[in-house]
Amino acid sequence: MTTEATTEATTEVPAAPREYRWRMPANWWTRNRHYFLYTVREFTALPLALWLLWLLVEIRRAGDGPARYAPHSSTAFVVFSVVVLAFALYHSYTFLTLAGTILHFKVLDRPVPARLIVLSQFAAWAAASVVVAFVLIWFAHE
Amino acid sequence: MSEAVKPQRLALMHLFWWFMFAQGGVIAALLIPVHVLVQGILGPLGIVPVVDRHYDTWVSVLGNPLVKLYLLVLIAFPFFHFAHRLRYLLVDFGVPAAKSVPAQVVFYGGAVVVTLVTVYILLTTVPI
Repeated sequence: MTTEATTEATTEVPAAPREYRWRMPANWWTRNRHYFLYTVREFTALPLALWLLWLLVEIRRAGDGPARYAPHSSTAFVVFSVVVLAFALYHSYTFLTLAGTILHFKVLDRPVPARLIVLSQFAAWAAASVVVAFVLIWFAHE
Repeated sequence: MSEAVKPQRLALMHLFWWFMFAQGGVIAALLIPVHVLVQGILGPLGIVPVVDRHYDTWVSVLGNPLVKLYLLVLIAFPFFHFAHRLRYLLVDFGVPAAKSVPAQVVFYGGAVVVTLVTVYILLTTVPI
């Protein structure tokens, strides 16, 4: 800094500090496809949380006794589940695809290709789904 | 020089919350869609018989300790993932208060509460 500039700075009457507040416009996430998909991805948490809370209620209702127990069958519940399933599939797709970016392995000194890692994640998803569906349906016959 | 050696402190809490976030995300991704499809859609529509459609089968499954453990993992872990995502979604939507310590207590504390409620419900409904 030059001497001139320093003296100028010290003699100048200090201006009141100005506040520069920059705020994102509220609709920033609708302006770009990627922002929108990012927001949807983060939002998936809410419907999934609601459905798990429903499952908790369904578990709790087993304590009501045989006479009062009736499973949820309303159209509204099925519609709710269809909406949740869409969000659930989007969460699964985005989260499992992410593994290809995050996980880095080496086998025999060679890096495992990201595509193979993602493929293994989707295979695990398929396997888990088959096992869970089998248990939920098989134990319905007793 | 002022390159003082900083004491190395392991960010254990950081590690813990990130572990829960990641595990919750994996568990939600692998397990939730099939539950929603079978218990939320196929079962209520009567397309397949599902274990929670009848009192007897639902109770006999819920009495199994392995099922209880599974349901605890299925329900509790994802909530730590959801808590983090929803808190940062609020930050992204221009709510800086969501970064504060009270907000963290509310969101992660909420996940802990859900975990405790789940444990309670699993232990008191059809006790082992």
